[in-house]
Amino acid sequence: MEKFISLISSLRWQDIVDIGLVSYILFRFYVLFRGTNAFRVLIGMTILWFFQQVAVSMGLIVTSWVVQGVVALGAFIIIVIFRNEIRSVLQASHLKTILWDVSPKTVITTIEIIVQSVYEMAARKCGALIVIPGKDDVDEMIQPGIPWKGEISKEMISSIFWPDNPVHDGAAIIQGDQIVQVAAILPLSRRDDLPTYYGTRHRAALGLAESTDSLVIAVSEERGDMVVALDGKLMIVRQKRKLEQILQEHMGVASKKGRELIKERLMIAAAAVFSVIFITGVWFSVSRGGDTLVTFQSPVVYMNRDPAMEIVKTSVNTVSLELEGSGALIKSIKPDQVQVKLDMSNSKMGPNSVTITRESISLPPGIVLKDVKPAVVEVDLDVLIKKELPVQIDWVGKLPDNFILTEAKIEPKTIEIIGGKRILETISTIYTEKVPLNNLDVKGTITANLALTPASLKIAPNSKEKVTIKYLTRVRNQ
Amino acid sequence: MYHRTLFTLFLSTILVSALPLSVQSQSDTGGNTETSGGNIALVQAVMCEDIQDQLPQNPTTVFSIERRKAICFTTFDPVPQKTVIYHHWFHRERPSAKIQLTIKPPRWSTYSSIQFREEDLGPWRVEITDSQGQIFQVLRFSITE
Repeated sequence: MEKFISLISSLRWQDIVDIGLVSYILFRFYVLFRGTNAFRVLIGMTILWFFQQVAVSMGLIVTSWVVQGVVALGAFIIIVIFRNEIRSVLQASHLKTILWDVSPKTVITTIEIIVQSVYEMAARKCGALIVIPGKDDVDEMIQPGIPWKGEISKEMISSIFWPDNPVHDGAAIIQGDQIVQVAAILPLSRRDDLPTYYGTRHRAALGLAESTDSLVIAVSEERGDMVVALDGKLMIVRQKRKLEQILQEHMGVASKKGRELIKERLMIAAAAVFSVIFITGVWFSVSRGGDTLVTFQSPVVYMNRDPAMEIVKTSVNTVSLELEGSGALIKSIKPDQVQVKLDMSNSKMGPNSVTITRESISLPPGIVLKDVKPAVVEVDLDVLIKKELPVQIDWVGKLPDNFILTEAKIEPKTIEIIGGKRILETISTIYTEKVPLNNLDVKGTITANLALTPASLKIAPNSKEKVTIKYLTRVRNQ
Repeated sequence: MYHRTLFTLFLSTILVSALPLSVQSQSDTGGNTETSGGNIALVQAVMCEDIQDQLPQNPTTVFSIERRKAICFTTFDPVPQKTVIYHHWFHRERPSAKIQLTIKPPRWSTYSSIQFREEDLGPWRVEITDSQGQIFQVLRFSITE
């Protein structure tokens, strides 16, 4: 219990945000994709993933490999096979719907498919005639068309009424979530008070509505408007919401919806709670579970030192950090996430002892510092000064036995050097890099770089970085 | 003129940095190069391989370690009174030897030398100073393979 309390009390506000954010993302996935096949497959994949984790923890090597392969392949398959479903969910929803709306209407129902289809066809001025029978049997009133028996979808409705489709002139009969017949011929209305712009399609719609309790939707290909025929009347419906309402009333969905709504809301609440519990569990298992210790070498960065001073010497360049965290987090540590920054603002010239505190170490979230070695760093600071120093050639190699170097003039003779005062006080000469004697002619000119030791020394901006050497050799007097 | 100079040779062995160092001084040589301060003046300072007939032989700034020694030859003119000067030998910044040499009026030549060891490879310098430590001249040379 104490461990649990300490675990909870160790939570930072960032951790709460972390859990909340990921829980909400999971919850939104449920809200957006529930009821789709992709969601069911996704649940299957999640179960497989858990199975793989169990297999790994039990040491079932081959099983875990196989399940891992299936999961990896499955993720790819979900995207490929259900790409249309995923697209339709995302396309059908506004940003608000994706991020916030928990209305059960996010699942595309038969009514929504019909509504969306007819308005899309109306916009394209693609004529259509759709019959949604009521309680009356319509088979006696219509001339049967072609049996279809296809699950309703927007694409199917569009293709049936596509102008080049041989069955596009007849009516499509919808029962439940199926298109049962296409190219059906409806009885024409005999009324003579219809406006002249209503053609055969509208008369057919009205004809069936007069003789049965069917609802018939007619989309005009001339004007692109949408007309509903019901109870012997024709009405133009311009708003999707209105058509949806008419269809719900006609199909008797409205009364059933109240109960479904409560059930739906309970499901959503359960999904929200499950998301939080699940992600909290995953978060604790990733960030707190399975403690792993690792020793990490991190370079030390010295900050905020007086610009007039420079670091001459440090006891260490890297420190050894003993870090603790879950295996997953420890493995994912990148070198730039671990930094040791020592504040030198209070340091003075000469030797300084700087203690490495927890505040001077930045670690990725979820990683705990157990120990630092060494805990104290010795830093030697010095004031920067300029000093003019003579340059000397550092000859190496060998001249031919009978030759001697009689002259070696160096230009410039002196170089201005910037460095720590205490260092420069001990230095009276700047040497060139090693200049080989082996390749010298009798006389000549060569250039050489300067070798600055220690490396903290710098050549002043107004001084040359190279020197020119004019030399002369001659045969030795025996 | 050189034949009329007074030549005195002191030979001593000085242990510096665990190496035997032979120091010799020589009297009066001519020359007119000036580098000094005070009453005495350094008129010649040169690194050489040998001394023959009171003169530096094969002046150079590079000594092969196979030749085993380097000599710093100096001449002072005038020398108003008997005094001492120093040859400070440095291997890079590390002092290697400080050799006291006596000089006498009216002019005097003197020299000191070191014998090489394997670890002596690298750049060297000799600071020629008076008894108060004032530098007359710095000679630079290298010991190579």
